[in-house]
This record gives sequence, structure tokens and C-alpha cells, in this order.
Amino acid sequence: MIIDELKKIKDDAVGELEKVENLKDINEIKVRVFGKSGLLTALSKGIKELPIDQRPLVGAKINDVRIFLQEKISEKEFFLEKQELENKLANEKIDITEPGKDVIVGALHPINDVIDKLTDICVSMGFSVVEGPEIESDYYNFEAMNIPKNHPSRDMQDTFFITDEILLRSQTSAVQAREMEKRKPPFKIVCPGKTYRNDSDATHSPIFNQLEGLVVDENVSMADLKSMLTILMKRLFGEDTAIRFRPSFFPFTEPSIEVDVSCPNCHGKGCSTCKGTGMLELLGAGIVNPKVLEMSGINSKKYKGFAFGFGLDRTAMILDSINNIKNLYRNDIRFLSQFK
Amino acid sequence: MKVTYNWIKEFVPITANAEEVAKKLTNAGMEVEELMYQNEHLHDVVVGKILKIEKHPAADKLVVCQVDIGGKIVQILTAATNVFEGAVIPVSLPGADLVNGVKIQPTKMRGIESYGMFCSGEELGIDENYFEGAGVNGILILPQNMKIGDPIDKALLLDDVVFDINITPNRADCMSVIGIAREVSAIFGIEMKKVNLSYNIDVYDKDTVRNYVDVEVKTDNCLRYMMGAIKDLKIERSPLWMRARLNAVGIKPINTIVDITNYVLIEMGQPLHAFDQSLIDGQKIVVRQGQAGEKIEALNHNSYELDQSIMVIANEKEPMVIAGVIGGTNSCINDNTKVCALESAIFDLKSIRITSRKIGVRTDSSARYEKGVNVANAEIGLNRALHLVSKIGCGKVVRGIIDKSLVKNEYREITVSLKLINDILGVKIPEKDAINILNNLSIETKLICDKLSLKIPPYREDLENDYDIAEEIIRIYGYDIYDNINYNLFENSNVTEGKHHPRLLLERKFRNALVERGFYENVSYSLVSSNSVEKLLLNDERCNLIKIANPITEDISCMRTSMANSLFNTINYNNSVGNKNYSIFECGRTYLAEELPLKKLPKEKNILAMAICEENFNFYNIKGIIENLLRKTSVNYKIERSKETYLHPGISANILCDGEIIGCFGKIHPQVAKNYDIPAFVYYGEIDTGFLSNLEPKKYIARQISKYPIVERDLALIVDENVLAEELLNSIKSSCGTLFYDANLFDIYRSDSLGLNKKSMAFNIKLSNLNKTLTDDEVNKTIQKIIKTLNYKYGANLR
Repeated sequence: MIIDELKKIKDDAVGELEKVENLKDINEIKVRVFGKSGLLTALSKGIKELPIDQRPLVGAKINDVRIFLQEKISEKEFFLEKQELENKLANEKIDITEPGKDVIVGALHPINDVIDKLTDICVSMGFSVVEGPEIESDYYNFEAMNIPKNHPSRDMQDTFFITDEILLRSQTSAVQAREMEKRKPPFKIVCPGKTYRNDSDATHSPIFNQLEGLVVDENVSMADLKSMLTILMKRLFGEDTAIRFRPSFFPFTEPSIEVDVSCPNCHGKGCSTCKGTGMLELLGAGIVNPKVLEMSGINSKKYKGFAFGFGLDRTAMILDSINNIKNLYRNDIRFLSQFK
Repeated sequence: MKVTYNWIKEFVPITANAEEVAKKLTNAGMEVEELMYQNEHLHDVVVGKILKIEKHPAADKLVVCQVDIGGKIVQILTAATNVFEGAVIPVSLPGADLVNGVKIQPTKMRGIESYGMFCSGEELGIDENYFEGAGVNGILILPQNMKIGDPIDKALLLDDVVFDINITPNRADCMSVIGIAREVSAIFGIEMKKVNLSYNIDVYDKDTVRNYVDVEVKTDNCLRYMMGAIKDLKIERSPLWMRARLNAVGIKPINTIVDITNYVLIEMGQPLHAFDQSLIDGQKIVVRQGQAGEKIEALNHNSYELDQSIMVIANEKEPMVIAGVIGGTNSCINDNTKVCALESAIFDLKSIRITSRKIGVRTDSSARYEKGVNVANAEIGLNRALHLVSKIGCGKVVRGIIDKSLVKNEYREITVSLKLINDILGVKIPEKDAINILNNLSIETKLICDKLSLKIPPYREDLENDYDIAEEIIRIYGYDIYDNINYNLFENSNVTEGKHHPRLLLERKFRNALVERGFYENVSYSLVSSNSVEKLLLNDERCNLIKIANPITEDISCMRTSMANSLFNTINYNNSVGNKNYSIFECGRTYLAEELPLKKLPKEKNILAMAICEENFNFYNIKGIIENLLRKTSVNYKIERSKETYLHPGISANILCDGEIIGCFGKIHPQVAKNYDIPAFVYYGEIDTGFLSNLEPKKYIARQISKYPIVERDLALIVDENVLAEELLNSIKSSCGTLFYDANLFDIYRSDSLGLNKKSMAFNIKLSNLNKTLTDDEVNKTIQKIIKTLNYKYGANLR
């Protein structure tokens, strides 16, 4: 009797569980079967009416069914919970193409970013970073650089004067003699900084930035200059960068050269950045004129030097594809915010 | 410097074309900036002759011409009225592409075919100065003797190629055709032809130059003064070949004598001056310095006041020429000149340079003198001019030349070491090649052991030592030798230690921190307008702006004394273009004069300045930013009220270290905001990075951290309005004793309900014990102690 009822309870419950579609209905089944006045509880109460020898057997059977159904219910619950979570997640889908919230962050100026990069590279090559005054004496800017007063090579630069003897430095080379007077060879220095020329048009700014480099040692040559500048330019513009020398003239170097750098934009094929030539005129350089060494108290019989200098504005313009030099000094947020 | 291909060829028999010559010159350091083919727009234009002219049957203004273009007769229509049967004219044929953009095609006009067009001088790109008839309004009528069918560029000597060469200041000797020719000769290894300096003198004529003029040199600035005389002058149009050359290099042909002086100037680089001998008062030339009060009427029709610094060529009474720069009207060659006294002189380059700057006149002569003309050149130039006089036949050269010379200039001998030269270059140039190059540069060489003894020609004043010679060798040998050279970095040098600049390194920390916080870095002009002083209401030494003597414009005429001006201007600009809510900063210099005019170099201060243009920003925001930066240094600072003129007096502070103001920050002064036309809510701050980078670098001393949890309590206290946050925080700290971990002010509340002049300040206090977990009892005791102390010292009551 009880066994029959037990089977019915089991079969009914299994049948119902198969049909059940939510956790609430499962709970109803649980109450009906296992609750205080549930079916299995009622059946268990009937055990004591049975003969003693049957009681353990029936009790065990009821318990088997209880365990069986509990497992079934857990299985179903797990399944339904998972399903419900999936449904919930599916409903929480958002538009991932909406723009991300901007993190408030500014940007370094392209010129100073180039100065940071170049000084890092140079320091790694054994150069020390130095600075000098922007308001400079005629002596350091010109005379110590082998550009005497009223010498034709003064015409190479339109200089801003403050008095006859004091001017705005027209080249960071002005720092060369100051450092040579202070230091004992061998040394390597680079000097970034503002320079000034009385020149303003579409491609010239009256204020611009240069980086000057100077090496004084017993044994340096044009070939060392080539090797060193090649590395500098590769680190700045990329490994496939090449440089080329052309003859030039600067009063403080002899021989003097201009250095062309393969265009980082087209890698020498020719493009608008390099005006189709594949090369960019970027640096002036050369072996330090022995007269310059001597004027600053360095024995030119023992020591030689090489020097190089280049415009950082132009370098930044090439690196960041900036087409108008005036943008560098206007500080328009729309311009600056591109370099985040 | 302009020279022409054919002119160079007159001295060096090269076969290479113009393009190749230009390329090699550039590679050797004579940068050819432009190559201009004179006949670029003259192809398909020939010399033609009009055989017959008939009226156009259907057009009143047109005539129909039968034209011989050399073995072929074509029909051309024209509206020109100056043509006639038998006239020789330039004819542009189909395919021609004239200088004014006109392209010639066979056309039909009112039913009659026309196979080309007659050209005016203008359409050929020439004027009356160049060719007679080229300036008339109509067709250029050519001389009858021109060969029919000849290309017009040949017929008019317009078939040359002009090189525009950038001559570096060390190569004054190349400011001439002969100089460039010497370079070409060296580059191509082709020997120069001898320059013809000979001229005819009538052997029976005993007349000498002394009969016409005497010369006295009274100044050291004149290194050499030579003078010749030419009589029986024919002042007329010079021959076409001479005009062609002058025209090609951009000099207007005038007459025989003037053209000869210009020709020699370009060809030999020797400035000459021609006087009308009859106008030299007293027949005496005096080379001297000018005197105050003297004046000269120059050929450019300006009058110049003279002084001691200006050298003049004078007669016995008055100056006639500003030496080396410009001639005067009182003695110049004119149509009636019969005898010409021809000057060929060498002046000190500095003297000419100073004079040229002083009077603001730059001429082809002064440009050469300024760079230095070699003393030997005067003789070459004068002889070449007399040669040209003979050649053209425009006068008779008078016997004798006056030569007053202060300086002798001869071949110099120097000795250089081939080993040193190779060491300088870092590459080995074969000895044979090096010697060859020098020989081709007209430098005689003698090899003594490993030394080279060199004989330097006088015009190469730039060559003095091994370094100069190394450059000569490598520029001709070719810098492309370096294309494939790559040593290891500094493989032959000593190791040196690379060091960053301490201030730049500190600034880099600050810059990166500010960028992370949303600031944009600026780089602005350090030159400002003088009105920045008034706009910033400055009243201290920063009013003494250092002024540029030769500014471009007023707005960039002074060195800035405050960074604020730059940043406020940037805000004005950005707001004007619609940018909103932004923060900017700049690391820049200010320039402070101790006295004006400057006697010594001024102080240059390195300042980091920032400005915030954001409506909801306040004093405590900028204070937080500045303090965050200062925390990166070891600076011990105090904050005090600021009197900075461009900041709001109530909402600004100075940063002090050892009594020195090393920065300030605060809200912009409303009047200054108005002056710059920027919002009054702008905040500005600056710190002296030069000062900060001189301090010891910051040292960190890590304190012990308890392994037991922190206990937090919030405390709101009502105090009088004049009680300062700093006082309360310090008091809280000391009340906590060893249990103190941290304390922060997180809110300030003001309300009438708190009482008159009262405020409520809410603190968050964190306590911690190194050795154990704090009990409630301990915490409560500590808080009670704080409350008691604050009540006792500041009258604070719990809210």
C-alpha cells in the first residue's frame, strides 16, 4: 500500500519536475513533497502503523525516494538558475560602440617631447646635458665661435641685438665655448634651448629651438661623427634611417658639413615631406675648428672635436607631421590635444 | 651669385652639360640653388623675313603675310602695324610656348589660315636695354643681317644657362665667374685657359695717365688703389655678346664703359669705378676718410651725410664716391665723357661693411668688398677692363697705370700632415688622389717625408692649416665615401659619463605630473610687447623690460619679465577660437635686468607657470596641485598671503622658502582679467624650478606600518570663522600622540544656525597602534582628548 503510494508520489513528482519552468514552481513541489504536511512526511507517519518487521524496509524506501527527488530537484534548480542568469545577462546587453568616457589627461608639447627623447638618447651615449644663457655676449655667440666683429660670416644669421655687446643668442653653439672653458677633455655635451633670429615668415619663427652637441677628445674624426649621428637619427626616426654628408661652411667647424637624413615618412622614395628628394636637410656639423679650441683654452695639438647642431622645431614637425611652424608657438588646445 | 654656363666655358673647356656641372658644384660645396635655361620659352621661335603683306579680305585690322622662315614660306596673320615687307622679325611657330604663357597653334582667323605669330620683345622676355627695338609697342624688328631660319635664342644670344650659386662667406674668391671656373676646373680635372689681359697702346702716343690724374691715398682702409685712363671714348651701346652676359646675370646694360665695369665685376670679382676725368676737380684723386659736415649726392639719388668712419674717394675739394659702396653724381660717366679715369681698388672689408650698414646701401661692389677681395685682384680686374676696351674699340687706352699699394699679397707656403688629414677625416684618402686634388686647385705640392709643403695661391686666403686642407681634399674627393662607413660608437674615444641636467630632470617630473592631471604643455615666445607691464599691473623691477634694439614688430620687442603674460595671452587666444575648460603650463624663462641699458648679462630665471581656465575651479584646487609638485622635492616651504599684482589680493598666496618667495598662486586679479580680456575665474600659479633644482634631492624615510587595522572617526566642530584649518590639524595631530596616523579636513559648512561668524569643520581622523589592535575605549579616550584640547585652545564645540 505504502509502497504503491510512494511510487505514485515519486512518478508524479518526476513528471511535474520535467514540466516545471521556473524556480517558484519548483518551490511548490518541494513544499508539497517534503513540507511539514507534505506527501512524504504524511507517508512516513504511516510507517508506525505497519508491522514492526516491515518498518525498516519501508522507511528505507521512503528515504531512497526522498534522496532521489531531492537530487532531481537540485538538478532542475541548477538548470533553471543558470537559465535565468543567462536570460538576465542577455537583457543587460549594452551598445559597446558608444564612445568611452575620456580620462582627463593633457599632453607634452611636441618640441619638448623631442628634447626629452634626444637628451635621453644622448645621455645614453655618454653626453651630459648642459644649458646656457639666452641673452648672451657677443663674445660667446660670435667671437669665440670664430666669427669676429664685422666678419662676413656674421651675415649668415640675422641677429637680435640688445646692446653692441649683448644679444639674443642666434645659435646654441654659444654654449660651446662656455663649456670648453669649464671642462677638461675628454667630454661630450649636448645643449637644447631657445635661439633667436630676426627672421619671420611662413617657414621661419623668430624664436626656435636647437640642440647643440660637442665632443672633445684625443681621437675623434668625421667618421666618428658619421657613426654617432647615424645612431642618433636611427633612435629618433627608426632603424631604417640613413644619413648623408654634404659640404657646407660654418666658421666654427672645419671641415663643415650638412647632414641629410633619409625621409622617415617615405624612407627615401620621395614624398611631400621631403619635397620628392627622399632626404631631409636636418643638421649642420663638422670637426671643431682648431682656432675655436685654442680660443677656449684647449690644446688643439692634442685634442680634436666634432660638433653638430640642428633645429628641434623642424625635427618635431617631421616626427609629428606638423605642417605649419606657427602652430608650435600658438598653443591652441586643438593643436596640443593631438599629442596625448 | 649668378654666372652662366657659356661664361664658365670661356675659361674651362668642359664638355659636361650644365646639369652635370651644377650637380658637381653642389657636391663640392658650391650649392647651385637654381638652374635657369634662358631659352626655356624660346623653342620653336625663329628668325623670319616678311616677303609680302596683303590686306585680310574679311578683317580690317588684320593683314596676311607671306614669311620666309628659312627655306620654307608660311602664311601668318598679324594685327601689328609696325611690320613691312622685307622686315626681319621673330616668328613663333606651332609648338612654341612663350614666356607670357601663350602657346602657338595653327589657327584660322576669319577664314584665313595663320601658321604662327610674330613676336614682340616682351614676348621673348627682353627689353630695350637688351636689344634695340625690343621695347617698342609692336613687333620686334630685327637687323637685316640676321640669318633667316636661325633659332631666335641663338640669334639673340639667349641660349645660355644661368647658375644661381650660394657662395659661403669663406669663399669670397668664388664671387666671380673666374672663381667658379677655377672650381669647375678642379672638380673636373680640366686645366683653365689663360685669361686674356692684354690691350693695345698706341706706340707713337707719348700721352700718359699722369697727364690726366694723380692719386693720393690718405687712409689705411685703402689697401691698394690703381687707376688707368681711357681717352677718345665712344659712349654707346655695348656689343650684344656683352649685353647678353650682363642680362643673363641680372645686370641692366647701360653703355660701353659702365657695361665693361660691370662685366669685370661679375667675371673677375673686381669692383671698378669709372670717373669722367674732366669732372675730377684738380685732376687729383684723394682716398681718405670722410669728414663730419660733408655730404654726397649718390647715384641712387639719395644724399648721404659723411663722417670719419666712412671712406671716400674725393677730388681736391669734395667727395666723389663713397669708397667701395656707391658713386656720386658729380663725377660719373655721361654721354659727353671724353676721358675716363678707371679705378680698380682694394678696400678693407670691415670698413666697407661698416659703411654699407651705416648708410643702408648694399651694392654689387660692396657685397664683394665686404667679403674680401684679394689685393692681387685689382691688377687683374683693371687689365681685363682695358683688354675689353681694346676688344670693343670704345676708346684708346692711355699709357701707364697708377698703382698705390699698401699691402703685398703673394703665394703663401704652409706645411700640412697627410696623416693628420686622414685622422681628421677618419678615412684614408690615397696620397696620389689628395695631391692631385690640391694640384687641380692650383695649389703646388711638395712631398717631404709624410709632410706636404703647399704653395697657396693669393686668392685662397681661407686656407691656413691641416683642417682647411682636409676640407679641400674631401669636398673634391666626394663626401659619398662616408655613405658606407659605420664605426662602433666612439670606438676610438674615451668613455665619458652621460648626465642629465638636474633642472630639466626636475621639470620633466613636474611636466609629466601635470600632463597626467590634464594640463597641456605650452611653448610660447619669450619676446613680448612692452604693454605687458601695464597689463599685469607690475610695479617692481619687472617693469624694466630688456628691449631688442632691432625688433621685427612691437609685439615681440621685449624679453618677458613674467610668465603670466604668456599664459594669459594664450588663454585669450584659446577662448577667441572657442576652446573651453582647459589647463595649461609652461616651463620657461624670465629675464630680469639689474640695470638698464644692460651692462652685463641679466638674470634668467627658470619658472614653471600654470593657468587653469575652468569655471568650477577654486583656490584649494590649485593649492593642491602646487603642493603635489612641491612634495616631489625636498623643499621646506611656508604659505603666506601674496601681494602679486596680477593675482586677487584675497585669494592668492606666496610660497616661501627661507624667506625667499619661490612661487605664488591664486585667482587672477579681476582688473588683469579685464586687461587680457579673459575670464575672471582663471587661476594662475608659478614656481621657481631653478631654485628647487638646486636643493638636495628628496630623500624618503619610510615609517613603520602597523599590521593592525586603522580606526577611523569623523569629527565635526563648530569654531569661529577666524580659526585656521592648519591650526586645528596640528592640534589634532599632537593630541593623538603616538596613535596618530592621518587627519584630513573633508568639509566646511557655514550657516546662520551655527551662530554669527561661525563655521563647522569636519575632520576625518585615522588612528593606529603599532603593537596591537586598538580598543574602543582607547579610541574614545583619544577623541575626547582632541575635543577637549580644541575646545580649550580654539573654543571648538562638537556640532
